[in-house]
Amino acid sequence: MITKTLLRALDGKALWVLAALLLIAIAVPASNLALPSGHPLRVPDHFVPLLGKYLTYAMLALALDLVWGFCGILSLGHGAFFALGGYAMGMYLMRQIGDRGVYAHPILPDFMVFLNWKELPWFWYGFDMFWFSAVMVVVAPGLLAFVFGWFAFRSRVTGVYLSIITQAMTYALMLAFFRNDMGFGGNNGLTDFKDILGAPIQAGTTRAALFAASAVALGLCFLVCSAIVNSKLGKVLVAVRDAESRTRFLGYRVERYKLFAFTASAMMAGLAGALYVPQVGIINPGEFAPANSIEIVIWTAVGGRGTLVGPIIGAVLVNAGKSWFTGLFPEFWLFALGGLFVAVTLFLPRGIVGTLADAWHAMKARHRPASLEEGSPRPPKGSARMDPSPAE
Amino acid sequence: MHPIRLILTLLLALLLTGAPGALAQADTVEALVRALPEGGYSEREKVIFALAETGDDRVARLLSVLGEGDLYLHEADGRVVAARRSGEGYAISDALSGEALGTVEKGALEKIRVNNRLRRAIDGAIAQLTLMSPRAPVRLSAARNLLKTAEPDALDLLDKALARESDADVRRVMEQARAAIVLKTETSVEEQLAAVEMLAERGDREALAMLTGALAGAAPPVQSALRSGIASVERRLALWDALQNVWYGLSLGSVLLLAAIGLAITFGVMGVINMAHGEIVMLGAYTTFAVQQVIRTSFPGLFDYSLAIALPLAFLIAALVGIAIERGIIRWLYGRPLETLLATWGLSLVLQQTVRTIFGPNNREVGNPAWMSGAFELGGLSITWNRLWIVAFALFVFAVLLAVLNRTQLGLQMRAVTQNRRMASAMGIRTPWVDAMTFGLGSGIAGMAGVALSQIDNVSPNLGQSYIIDSFMVVVFGGVGNLWGTLVGAFTLGVVNKFLEPYAGAVLGKILILVFIILFIQRRPRGLFALKGRAVDA
Amino acid sequence: MSDRQTLLYLDGVSVSFDGFKAINNLSLIVGHRELQAIIGPNGAGKTTMMDIITGKTRPDEGEVFFEGAIDLTRLDETAIAELGIGRKFQKPTVFESHTVWDNLALALKKPRGVFSTWFYHPSQEDVARLDEILDIIRLRPRRDALAANLSHGQKQWLEIGMLLAQDPKLLLVDEPVAGMTDAETVETAKLLKEIARTRSVVVVEHDMSFVRDLAARVTVLAEGSVLAQGSLDHVSADPRVIESYLGR
Repeated sequence: MITKTLLRALDGKALWVLAALLLIAIAVPASNLALPSGHPLRVPDHFVPLLGKYLTYAMLALALDLVWGFCGILSLGHGAFFALGGYAMGMYLMRQIGDRGVYAHPILPDFMVFLNWKELPWFWYGFDMFWFSAVMVVVAPGLLAFVFGWFAFRSRVTGVYLSIITQAMTYALMLAFFRNDMGFGGNNGLTDFKDILGAPIQAGTTRAALFAASAVALGLCFLVCSAIVNSKLGKVLVAVRDAESRTRFLGYRVERYKLFAFTASAMMAGLAGALYVPQVGIINPGEFAPANSIEIVIWTAVGGRGTLVGPIIGAVLVNAGKSWFTGLFPEFWLFALGGLFVAVTLFLPRGIVGTLADAWHAMKARHRPASLEEGSPRPPKGSARMDPSPAE
Repeated sequence: MHPIRLILTLLLALLLTGAPGALAQADTVEALVRALPEGGYSEREKVIFALAETGDDRVARLLSVLGEGDLYLHEADGRVVAARRSGEGYAISDALSGEALGTVEKGALEKIRVNNRLRRAIDGAIAQLTLMSPRAPVRLSAARNLLKTAEPDALDLLDKALARESDADVRRVMEQARAAIVLKTETSVEEQLAAVEMLAERGDREALAMLTGALAGAAPPVQSALRSGIASVERRLALWDALQNVWYGLSLGSVLLLAAIGLAITFGVMGVINMAHGEIVMLGAYTTFAVQQVIRTSFPGLFDYSLAIALPLAFLIAALVGIAIERGIIRWLYGRPLETLLATWGLSLVLQQTVRTIFGPNNREVGNPAWMSGAFELGGLSITWNRLWIVAFALFVFAVLLAVLNRTQLGLQMRAVTQNRRMASAMGIRTPWVDAMTFGLGSGIAGMAGVALSQIDNVSPNLGQSYIIDSFMVVVFGGVGNLWGTLVGAFTLGVVNKFLEPYAGAVLGKILILVFIILFIQRRPRGLFALKGRAVDA
Repeated sequence: MSDRQTLLYLDGVSVSFDGFKAINNLSLIVGHRELQAIIGPNGAGKTTMMDIITGKTRPDEGEVFFEGAIDLTRLDETAIAELGIGRKFQKPTVFESHTVWDNLALALKKPRGVFSTWFYHPSQEDVARLDEILDIIRLRPRRDALAANLSHGQKQWLEIGMLLAQDPKLLLVDEPVAGMTDAETVETAKLLKEIARTRSVVVVEHDMSFVRDLAARVTVLAEGSVLAQGSLDHVSADPRVIESYLGR
């Protein structure tokens, strides 16, 4: 069953996206490492982590799209899941510093020595092991999303209310992580990382590997999302988005569907955060700021929510624009970003990809109006008998 | 001086002192002052006593200047002056009237010296002058002073003053001062017990300190009385602390109310989520700043009226901006609350950056008019005037808004449009106009909130952001579409916040409140005062 | 409390919204394979009654039992739908961004768990059943059209088709023929009568000719309680019914 579901996820469009991601996963690191510096086709050193950062943002936007675009849950707190994943990775990287810190303490990170802590807090145990940290990267945000969502969806908090309390959630976490006695480095967060899995974090090869890992992870997330939205599960999610109460009267436990999408999305966001941290070299409580979470929403909106390619394009475009803009006219970036919010909601509600797709369909419909109804794809028919019950 | 008063003064001086003839002849205050520089310390002491006996108001100030060693003889004209170092020379003023007499060089002055004995005499004289002063406020402050110092030497004087005191308030403070002194000195157990009781009755922090201080050296029966006295004072103080927290909470609540009440209209009544609400509050605060700038440079005399000028102006500017937002953006997005949220968030970024570009990124100073500065005591409470005014203003705005919604044509139309837009439109109500006016009203109130907030908070481009989440919490907690809910929500959150702060700290307190509201919304998704019925679910 | 003949049993049900009694001491019985029509003026509590049966609204007092022993007032919408009570809304609500086929496939009686739906693949029988329903509701030519692009009448039929796909024991149908042509109305009446052979159907409707076509037992609601019950001719002759509803 699972393979079938996965195969269905690999429809024509998804294959193209995966191929493109695989291509850049190989091409960018290869061009950076193999070509001599100064070569016109070489990706400059500082570009590799920058592009890698965009890819993690694209993952984050994709994760948000799964809940917002397909399930109608506008989360204004997805930055919190991203940051939690980032902190889990940051804790691993801190423990990898070992005794090379300023205070040269064999176990305690610098900020704990500075705060006169005598021993490692219990929640830092295990983060010296990569596998444990990798698990926590998805488990911590997933758990938060599960608990939060379990309460929120069960009591049918929807729409704007849900958006506001997700914002309150990330705001509360931001305040909490700013406190020194939380044990996460307070204001300064976690930084000064040395190496990851034994490889020096600043080295060109490590950065190339991290970039490739980001591209592969984005591809995996895309595949999972595609497997979800192309299945009946995805159709139920859209049904919840469009007519929640109708879905309930059909006998679907809406809250469980929402909880699944929200938790899965949070885990993807956590993974994105974990790949983000080693590439930018720092994680601090500022990542929890409500403004960050709302910015994710605009990436998704610009690209086109309710499509899987849209958020990826949107995240890369908006962030490339931001890098370019803040370099040239730092004063005006907020004007541009604010204007973008207004313009997209007013004039481009379906985003770039959605608008293009509409135009494409309209054009196709004009060319062969008669064949449209009969010629569109049908669900698989007449294949071998299948048991529709779950395969777990 | 009037001749009759001169004669009376002379007579009084003679009667009271029976002092040596040489002084008696010249016993006007002026003459006594002129006599100050002459002779040795003992003569000077006599002059001080004589001055004390005059009972003249000006003498206390003169004596305290003398006690501080700032009294000089101006050698050129033989005048006694108060002098203070000012740049190279000394700024001098008349010792009695305080009239400024210009600046002179050091060489032109000769200091009127005092020693410790004289200083004691001066203190006694000042206490006598003030405790016996014909004006009650002067006596009161003297008694309070004595309560603080509890100077045992003053006991006799205090008894004399008590004997002739007629004002009940002053008398009580004097008795308390006496009790404080009694506790410090060796007296009978009965007297000490009475003193303990007297101080316990006063019940403030000073009394607590005195009682605790006396505990060490006291006799056993007095000790137990002291202990129960301390306990009762502590109970009393705890009560006042709680009340003080309630006051702080109400004050915070009124700030929240001001910030949230405009939102309660746009979100609660219209269902429009306006993330730029905080920035409209900020515009109001910057309007105040701009008004004060103009007043400072052009009409300094009007400074105390700056807020009265800024209020309507802020309302107008904020309302116009609000109407522009509604007409330009929000009306295209009705029925799509999440899109409205995003568009108005974008707008908030633009407004912030605009203000940052015009006024700069730093805090701007907005002054308090005189009638809003300072504080007063009410029982054990200390209440600042600006907070009090803001509480009053928040309640006033709330009342006006309630009246507008329930009593005016606009309010009626607003409620009609909210409940059934199509029906209202069919009945001839211009719904777009009502939408714009409603939004303008909500924004205008936000602008006025900005004027109030400028009095207690930093005026910076980030002002709005710091209030937006709290305001939403208030509206959501109180229940959407219900102004009373907003009122209760604001004050509840304010008071709870202030009660949590001492235990959990400011940040953790805030986190707890957020968590509490998140949990609360799970229990009651529509807030405290929710509307029920079929229409809500539709 | 109820015999075997009874599928749905309401007794003494009341609910009020902010002091307004929407349902007042309402008692109603629906038998197995019974077709029952409910009429009544606006505000008589018809929709609120459906809300109570389907778990959207909790009654302040009274009992609601399904199949004799299942207390519906303790269950939520999902659980009640799972029990086999399907509902068509007054305003047709179909999933507009899904195709006709997907709408029916979502309604089809299948495991409703998250993971079962994720790994679900339609079997041959599923496809055959959906095709059958498509024929019944005459939407086969439109099977891949988005539901948003259907006409009002087609949406009504699609929603009835979704009810069929759900395979419920009891169908609650709220104003099924609003916005339909006369011919469609007649067809709908036929269809509902056909359905009522195998299961129970409760129809709320204003259209008297349609109710006459149904030839079913009629219950008249007014001000939240039952005013009269019996054949259409019987209740039409009732002076109280004329006073409160028909006469106006």
